[in-house]
Parts: sequence; C-alpha cells; structure tokens
Amino acid sequence: MRRVAVIGVGVTKFGKHDRTSAELFAQAAAEAILDAGIAPSAIQALYFGNVTGGETERQLHMAPLAATLLGLPTVPTTRFENACATSHVAFRHAVMEIASGVSDVVLVGGAERVLNVPTESATEFFAYCSDASIEQPAGLTFPGVFALIARAHMDKYGTTEEQMAHVAVKNHRHGTLNPKAQFQKEISLETVLKSAYVADPLKLYDCCPFTDGGAALVLASEDVARKHRRRIWVLGSHAATDTMFVHEKRDLSRVTATERAAQGAYRQAGKTPADVNVVELHDCFTIAEIVATEGLGFFEPGTGGLAAEKGWTSLGGRLPVNPSGGLKAKGHPIGATGAAQIAEIVTQLRGEAGPRQVDGASTGLTHTLGGNTATVLVSLFGRD
Amino acid sequence: MHLKDFFAEVRAGRLTGIRCGRCGALAIPPKEFCEQCQQREWQPVPLGGAGTVVSFTVIRVAPRGRSAEVPYAVAVVRLEEGVSLLGRVVDVPFDALKAGLPVRFRPVEIGGQTMIGFGPA
Repeated sequence: MRRVAVIGVGVTKFGKHDRTSAELFAQAAAEAILDAGIAPSAIQALYFGNVTGGETERQLHMAPLAATLLGLPTVPTTRFENACATSHVAFRHAVMEIASGVSDVVLVGGAERVLNVPTESATEFFAYCSDASIEQPAGLTFPGVFALIARAHMDKYGTTEEQMAHVAVKNHRHGTLNPKAQFQKEISLETVLKSAYVADPLKLYDCCPFTDGGAALVLASEDVARKHRRRIWVLGSHAATDTMFVHEKRDLSRVTATERAAQGAYRQAGKTPADVNVVELHDCFTIAEIVATEGLGFFEPGTGGLAAEKGWTSLGGRLPVNPSGGLKAKGHPIGATGAAQIAEIVTQLRGEAGPRQVDGASTGLTHTLGGNTATVLVSLFGRD
Repeated sequence: MHLKDFFAEVRAGRLTGIRCGRCGALAIPPKEFCEQCQQREWQPVPLGGAGTVVSFTVIRVAPRGRSAEVPYAVAVVRLEEGVSLLGRVVDVPFDALKAGLPVRFRPVEIGGQTMIGFGPA
C-alpha cells in the first residue's frame, strides 16, 4: 500500500449559515485546494459526507451537486452517511483509494446544515441515527443515549457531574482561541452545573450545539506529497463497528468500538498512546470525552473524569485534548466533523495553530464516533 | 420470526426473544446469524418480562411530535433470562429510578404507537 498525506485543509466558520450544505462544502473545498497549492483539475475523486440533507434541505444526490458548485462537475463522486462519523469514514475510504493506487489526489470532507430547522426537528432527524424499531419509538434521543452511558460510568467509577462540567469549561476555553469556533466565550463551572437537564444527568452545557459548517481535505500519494512542504502523513486509519442496539452493549460505561478502532490505528502506525502529543476527539457530550480518553488508552478506565478535573487534558496540560474547542465549543456540523477534526490536527502538526498551538506536536490523533456508539474511526497523523 | 411478529407479540403483552438452537444464546430482536456461534438455528422463546434496571435517563427535550410526553424515563433493563432490552419506564417515580431496581415488561401505547415499556415489578 502507498503512503498517503494531507496536503491541504479548509474549514468554514462554524455556526449559523444562510448557505446550503453543498455550498458550505464547496467553500471549504476551495480553501483546501488553495491551501494545497494545486490546480483544481488535479482532483481525481470526491468523497463527500452529509447526514440530514434529505430532511433539512430536501436535497439528496449532494455529492455531484457539491462538485458542480465547486467547479469540478466531471469528477467522480461518492456520498457517505455514518451518522456523526460520516466524513471520517469518507476520509478512510479516500485514503484507501490513494493507498491502493487508483488515484493520486482525492478531495474529501463533508458539510451539514441544521440551524435552518427548529431544534425539535433537528433532534428528530439526529434520532434517525438510532434504531427505528425499538429506540426511536421509546423516545430515546442522542442526549439520552449518552445519559445512559454517563449514568453507567457514574455508577461504576464514581464519576461526577462536576467532572463532566470541567470538560465543557475546558473546551469552551479552548474555543476562545479558535476564530472559526461557533462559541468563543468562556463559561464557568457554575454555569454548566446550573444549566437545565436535557437528559439526566446531562445538562444543556454538557451537550454540543447544532451547527452549520463544512470541512475539506486534499489527500495525495507520496509522490505528489513530496512536492508539498506542509504535508502531514496519515500514519494509520482504522474503523470499528459495534451493535446498533443500545441494549446489546456489553458494558455501557465503555465504548468498545473506540477501543478496537484505536488498537487498529496504533498498530498500523506503529505508535502507542504515549506517542500522541495532541488529540481531537468526539466530545458530542462531556461524558463522551471522558469515556474516549479512556478508550483511546490515554487514561485508565474510570479516571477520565479525574483527568478533566485536574486539567491534564487542557492546553498546557499532559495531553491537550480538543485544542480547537472540540464539538462542544467549535461546533458539530455532523457531516463535516470528522474532516474538521483532521484539519485541526494537520494545522497543529504544521505548527500553524497560533494561540492554541501545542508546542512541538509531532504526532496527532483524531477520533470520531457515529450514532449510538456503533461507528468509530480513529486516525493517526505525523510530520516528516 | 421478524420484527413485525416481535411487535405483534409486544402489542399482545408478550415479550418474545430468540434462542440459538446450537449454543443457547438469547437475543432480542430477531436477527439472522448468532453472534456467538455463527449458526442460524433460532427458536422463538417466551420471556417472563421481569428484570432490573441497568441504566436510565429522564428525557426532558424530546424529538418533534413527542414534546407532550416529556419528561419521561427510558431505561436499559436486564431481563431475568440474561438478555437486555431498552424501553420507556412508566408508573415509577423518577427519584426511585436506580440501577438494580426491579421492573416488569408491559406494552405502552402512546398516540397509536406501541413501544416497549417497563412498569413496577
């Protein structure tokens, strides 16, 4: 298999937009192509992610539309949908298209637009990513899924609501350093703890927001990447799946797909958790960050809450997690999130992250989780 | 047995799982292969409906069309037979909910839609 590098990244401002998902992606993609310094015509394929376009914009077949709006109407396109892990799945397939020798330069990413519909509609559309036979009829929402996980983690390890709140405070603080973040304002522990319950024990400020935005990456084969000084290598990318049914999870305090995806990615990269300097992980809810830091091997099971409380995952801490502000503060346009996380890690490893730069970072990890913990992708990145 | 049959049984107040004829594994809802032994020798098996709460939440922000139902509790329940199931919890005060609480299956119908439910044991 051939080596693959990221040679260009582009991300829109995250927040509310009056442009369509396809437009948001095209804008991010144009920035990624300019960042790579290649001719648009060098793109040989587009791997595009979007989740709710059929519901929020009455727009399917969005991949060729995105290519058309980008000005590349004849590039072969594929659309991906794996809930919130959508564009990380697309990324892994784009890597495989290059690694296998089919293409040399591939554009990948995604976009989402949900702030054009009411919150209860967005909640409904996101809930479509859980099972429609048992879970949706019972009224299970995504905050509900992670509330079940939070309760199990609290019961098993003594994790507290205050420890979860520390994750929110930290990611909002990081978000103030990211001009593209949806929220760029610090919040206090008290604000989080006093916010209303959405799904006990998760409160409003334990939840990431609904977000519009797009993100894109230009990937290239080693031969092409060698001509690009700011290239960042893909060291490994692994996908893991777990049962769609929440009731079939063997231990609700763990996300076993995260553990399996991480093991596969570390093995491919020849790295261990101790080699990682900077992480962008899937903090759709504060408890999700705590469980992910354990499943990725950074902290012992049950100590992820303590790590947040002690500041070990803050910028300047032992292992900075979500320097971008994470899904919590940067925002979570679900079809774009995986690509946006990778864009942040590439920016960090290039040393171009400005005030949120993790000094000397040479190895970075991204983790994206889809739906009710059924889809998880973990990828590792490194400098020359 | 398919999902449609499973829910027809639920509406009639009966909970039905499937048991692997080779290794004895239990599962809900029906599926093709047994994850444990990779065989396809399922037999429907009636379940008693008694179980205990594994984890729970009280949903206070609902999807479109469900706002009139909030707040409501949802729990993962481990049935006596050893298989788990997710459902709506009814007739149990929220502050009484905890892991290990005994509950019993019952069908719950809201707005003409039947869902898995659990009430007091």
